[in-house]
Amino acid sequence: MAEQLQNKAVQTTGHAWDGDLQEFNNPLPSWWLWAFYASVLFALVYWVLFPAWPIGSDYTKGLATATFKNDQGEEVTMGWNSRAAFIQEMQEGGDALKQKAYLQKVSAASYDEISRDPEMTAFAESLAKVVFADNCAACHGIGGTPPIVGLYPNLRDDDWLWGGTFGQIEHTISQGRIGFMPAFGKVLDTGQVDQLAHYVLGLSGHEVDPAKAKLGEVIFQGEEGGCHYCHTQSGKGLYSQGAANLTDAIWTVADVTGQNDLKDKVKLVSQVIDEGIQREMPGWSKRLSEIEIKLLTVYVHSLSGGE
Amino acid sequence: MVQGAVANTQYNYEIVKKFAIMSLVWGVFGMSGGVYIAAELAFPFLNFDIAQITFGRLRPVHTSLVIFGFGGNALFATSYYVVQRTCQTPLASNWMAGLTFWGWQAVLFLGVLSYMNGIVDSSKEYAEFPWYLDILIAIVWIAYFAVFLLTLLRRSQPHIYVANWFYLAFILATAILHIFRNLSVPVGLFHPDSYSVYAGVQDAMVQWWYGHNSVGFFLTAAFLGMMYYFVPKQAGRPIYSYRLSIIHFWALSFMYMWVGGHHLHWTALPDWASSLAAAFSIMLLMPSWGGMINGIMTLSGAWDKLRTDPIMLFMITALSFYGMSTFEGPMMSLKSVNALSHYTDWTIGHVHSGALGWVAMITFGSLYHMMPRLWETRLYSTKLVYVHFWLATIGIVLYISAMWVSGIGQGLMLRAFDQYGNLAYTFIETVSFMHLPLVVRMVGGMLFVSGLLLMCFNIYMTIRHAKHEQKAIEEAQLAAKLARAGV
Repeated sequence: MAEQLQNKAVQTTGHAWDGDLQEFNNPLPSWWLWAFYASVLFALVYWVLFPAWPIGSDYTKGLATATFKNDQGEEVTMGWNSRAAFIQEMQEGGDALKQKAYLQKVSAASYDEISRDPEMTAFAESLAKVVFADNCAACHGIGGTPPIVGLYPNLRDDDWLWGGTFGQIEHTISQGRIGFMPAFGKVLDTGQVDQLAHYVLGLSGHEVDPAKAKLGEVIFQGEEGGCHYCHTQSGKGLYSQGAANLTDAIWTVADVTGQNDLKDKVKLVSQVIDEGIQREMPGWSKRLSEIEIKLLTVYVHSLSGGE
Repeated sequence: MVQGAVANTQYNYEIVKKFAIMSLVWGVFGMSGGVYIAAELAFPFLNFDIAQITFGRLRPVHTSLVIFGFGGNALFATSYYVVQRTCQTPLASNWMAGLTFWGWQAVLFLGVLSYMNGIVDSSKEYAEFPWYLDILIAIVWIAYFAVFLLTLLRRSQPHIYVANWFYLAFILATAILHIFRNLSVPVGLFHPDSYSVYAGVQDAMVQWWYGHNSVGFFLTAAFLGMMYYFVPKQAGRPIYSYRLSIIHFWALSFMYMWVGGHHLHWTALPDWASSLAAAFSIMLLMPSWGGMINGIMTLSGAWDKLRTDPIMLFMITALSFYGMSTFEGPMMSLKSVNALSHYTDWTIGHVHSGALGWVAMITFGSLYHMMPRLWETRLYSTKLVYVHFWLATIGIVLYISAMWVSGIGQGLMLRAFDQYGNLAYTFIETVSFMHLPLVVRMVGGMLFVSGLLLMCFNIYMTIRHAKHEQKAIEEAQLAAKLARAGV
């Protein structure tokens, strides 16, 4: 090697820059040259096979083709293009066909049939958990438990604001819901709000000031507060209004269970009564397909067992 | 053979010194910024809810400072150094060279301020400067072109050395790319925003014509120019093949212009534009490797230098990473590979194997060679250069491997199906999978930056010693003069 270079040292281009900068004039390495030719050949073959060169407002289509069935069920063959290739893959690919078979099965089945069939249930969960995580989890949390109490309902506690049957869940997902409670701070004074809070906490078994709770009950059940219209006289709430069940010790707005002191619990509940609630879940019918909503319904129902 | 060398004092070294120092300064800011946003990706709380330091704002700060601050200043410095020495003539215009210096630093400083305050032309990746800074860049660049070309024309050498072809191609191509990418209509004379003259998929196509050719001419051709001067100089050997340098120069310049479309595979870009770009990307492999072969073969017969010269280690490692990333690039530009790699960290890893491995390593080697010569002294410490080399190399390896794991891992997860033919993973599962590689990447970046800090210390001490030596020489001269005068 060294000798070879010695020989070649004579064959510089004969120029020198900046004192000692010189250039040998070695030939192109033959492996380099052949590899370059090979890459050119690759490009030529590629261009013959695939759409490549623009000509006016058209382009060379290439010899490769894609074949698929159109909406009328007729077989169509056209020059390869990424859209046709995608349709072909969705019609012929192994995973796509597997999914298609399951999708046909579940779309023909009723909710009851799906929930009784372990295979269909497993398929629904496998598809819907991804749909849920990519669309719903941002608010409802991974697996249906939101990280913060108050903003979004927990889907695992089997406590339903708008109802937990398949039909009710499907309606909630596809149409969305607007959760609204008026701000009672406008019509009640702070003393009355305090009394109401004691009464409400008493409904779920908290040990509260009985005198205040008694006065709160009058406001709750009477015309002054009118709370019973939505929450009902028993405090269990109406699904049609999205009104919370106040007797079950599950809290979706005020983080009551997170407080030890009665004073703090009363403060949080008072705040809700004072300010009201305004929550909205968007409708998903325009974003998710019918079958996705159906499987999502099965999934959400299964998170807590449903109704 | 050696022609009458022009005395160093005739060259404009002041401008070279300024650019070289600013290259290191912006390098420290740009790379530290990179490490910080890498840390933010692994630990999002680090943005502390301060808008100015969120990932979105700091990302263009990082890319602009490393590409245009560190890389750009190093290119100004070395090109002014190389063109003077290989043409044996001082710069054609000192005031214009001064304009390029102050103009360029102003662009960088104002750019950083704009980005952090949310004034970002965010549809133009790597060209996020607001329109008035685009105009300033154009002015600086025209002055740069004029200085470089006029200096070449004044050369006292019959031939133009190969390094200068690459520098000139870089300056010319960058001017074209910059101007056409930034054609836009300002919202108002005193408004920082502007509308691009291109729309939709045409805008995307122009973007990646610009983006990829910035890689091609700014980060590849220009640094090949650097390589073509500093590698043979440091090795003390002639360039391996003049013929290869001509062929690969023209092949590289021709092929690069076509490949931008490979950034837009499987999008609204027409299929023909996509496959045209993919095929040209494959043909670009060997022209890219021509530079690597010429650099590495220049050293053949002098491999022993690698044992004793850490600067040579930087250069050879740079060429190796250059070879690796120019192989990886064409592979990733194939549509089927791209379907996996695109939108994942694999792309980030690929860019950094080029940016850290090639661009930064060849720059470090060249600056270590050039800076002591500018101040007519020796490097303060060769040992520290070794330490820097190993910190940088280990940093890069950690960085790239982490991004391969994170990128290829996420790509595979996003395309995995379960036994029902459904997608197996949710997006958030792929994100939590990436946490560990993102931490490793951050550590790799930290090692790389600490190497750079060592270099800054080494250079600082070198310059300080040079000033002491200079003072001693002047005192000795004065004493001799006084002695002669018989005082």
